[in-house]
Amino acid sequence: MEMSRSDLQSKPRSLFEKVWDAHVVEELAGGNALVFVDKIVAHEITTPQGAFEIERRYEDKLFDPARIIAINDHVSPAKDTETAIQAKVLRDWAKRHGIVLYDIGQNGICHVVAPERGHVEPGSTMACGDSHTCTLGAFGAFALGVGTTAQGGAMLAGCLIVQRPKVMRVTLDGRLQHGATAKDLALTVVATLGFKGGTGYVLEYAGDALATLSMDERMTVCNMAIEAGATTGLIGPDETTFSYLRGRENQPTGDAFERKVDGWRELAADPDAVYDREVRIDLSALRPMVSWGTNPGEAVPIDGAVPANADAGSLRYMDLEPGRALRSIPIDQAFIGSCTNSRLSDLRAAAEVLRGRTVSIPTIVTPGSQAVKRAAEREGLHDVFQDAGALWTHSSCGPCLGMSMGVLAPGARCISSTNRNFPGRMGTGGRVHLASPAVVAASAVLGRIASPDELAVEALAAG
Amino acid sequence: MTIEGNVLPLDRANVDTDQIIPAHYLTGIETTGLGKHLFAGMTGGAELLAAHPDASILVTRENFGCGSSREHAAWSLVDRGFRAVVAPSFARIFFENAYNNGIAPIVVDDAAIDALLAAPRLQIDLEAETVLAPDGATFGFTLDPLRKQFLFSGGYMAFLAAKRDAVRTWLQRRAKGQLVQET
Repeated sequence: MEMSRSDLQSKPRSLFEKVWDAHVVEELAGGNALVFVDKIVAHEITTPQGAFEIERRYEDKLFDPARIIAINDHVSPAKDTETAIQAKVLRDWAKRHGIVLYDIGQNGICHVVAPERGHVEPGSTMACGDSHTCTLGAFGAFALGVGTTAQGGAMLAGCLIVQRPKVMRVTLDGRLQHGATAKDLALTVVATLGFKGGTGYVLEYAGDALATLSMDERMTVCNMAIEAGATTGLIGPDETTFSYLRGRENQPTGDAFERKVDGWRELAADPDAVYDREVRIDLSALRPMVSWGTNPGEAVPIDGAVPANADAGSLRYMDLEPGRALRSIPIDQAFIGSCTNSRLSDLRAAAEVLRGRTVSIPTIVTPGSQAVKRAAEREGLHDVFQDAGALWTHSSCGPCLGMSMGVLAPGARCISSTNRNFPGRMGTGGRVHLASPAVVAASAVLGRIASPDELAVEALAAG
Repeated sequence: MTIEGNVLPLDRANVDTDQIIPAHYLTGIETTGLGKHLFAGMTGGAELLAAHPDASILVTRENFGCGSSREHAAWSLVDRGFRAVVAPSFARIFFENAYNNGIAPIVVDDAAIDALLAAPRLQIDLEAETVLAPDGATFGFTLDPLRKQFLFSGGYMAFLAAKRDAVRTWLQRRAKGQLVQET
């Protein structure tokens, strides 16, 4: 049933509802809807099977190739014959359909590349066969991670079937300080809601603190919405968003761009919008967070210890005991990268810690895209990392999901700027502690879980 | 339609898709043949499967299938002969993937799971929406009224294919500014 103009104007709506209402093609049974997808991001791991299905059963006809971008990102360049075939399938398919392709040399992690190339617009809908698609909610887009079949359906018919989610408003007050970063906020949200506490909800971020967060920081926050089970994260667009997009490739210039901005300015939650659930977080109270367990909700402030009521299975896998101080845990490897924390500001934060220091454990720094890599090198960050003894690589998803470029040995303990500490995530039997890039860098220097302020104290003492 | 079969009891919460099938097995381009990697990332997974070689119904705890969107998790279950997963809750993407691959995601409460984990065999009536244990205990559930058709026909893509004209019409109206929401 279509609502009249007056209905829509009289009922206050959340930002999510506005984006949703603008994309529902048809209401379906059971609270589901046929939701139009403005842009699909296709990568080599989850796209080929759906592309084959369309080729075999639907005459290879895509709904609109111009609404798809293809990115070889998970293992690029390929590490073996199988991954080379995956990349080739995506490449050949993209070329055959005239789909924009980001390939070896200009690629990177899809959630980093899509926004940096100007493909993510406020108020739009996005889909990708990758759970961290929620990253793109930072732009005020309804961005959904989906399976291969659902992505294939969007490639075939331009739509997803989506169960209408509830909306949780997460109001952010204060400002980040005391060494806390957007990653610590993201981990705090998951720890607060619990590992599945966001299931069935869109997390719509609100509050005065949002204006203090850069686009990089907003992407980090939205990136981990899935780790609380949430459908996605969402942040309303503002001047920070418009400045980020102004002058990007794939965006118009001059008046044409400013006219789009005028439309995007309308994209805000109505003041009286009603939410299904409300949560408030005071950023001023946050401290650097580190995970101790085997899901991202099992995280505590770095000054803390493994909780007394910790899950026995998590403790066994991580080889830890309740009461163990986090700072006392020795680390075998450090990794800075992934769609959570591999953008330029993340690399700057890590470099600031590592400048003039030396890592004491194997440390890998993997920029989120080749564009990020070049920008970092223009600032000399590659020298900082390599002078410190870290490995500076090309962009990739890398060891975050245990596929390549730094997979952990069984029992090895890694401090990582990534998003998942599941058993075996970064390699069979490997143990992962999630933290911000700055904490990962400080830990790399001291060879145990550590925060940057400890290094400052050491420097003073040595001074 | 009834699913009748032996149970694989997986008495754990938060079984993520990395445990169901680790990423290093995601290097193929087809949906078949993945059963041999099922639970390869799970401590004790191989032993559990060996102890229940012909199970077709997985009974487990809350938040099953969390984490990565990889449909390979559903494909590996299908390839191994599973036709239903019974749990108190599912992560969204796995829940959708299950329907789209003919695996019934059956939601019952924690107390029911306690009982069903002990049942060697179950009968799941998808039309009556009941799970019947050998001791006669019956538990009700509700399937998604739209997606349940995908269990019978496997027809997610066919369903969407039939919507293409309607979607194009909608898109033309949007381009002309004829949608109310586009003000």
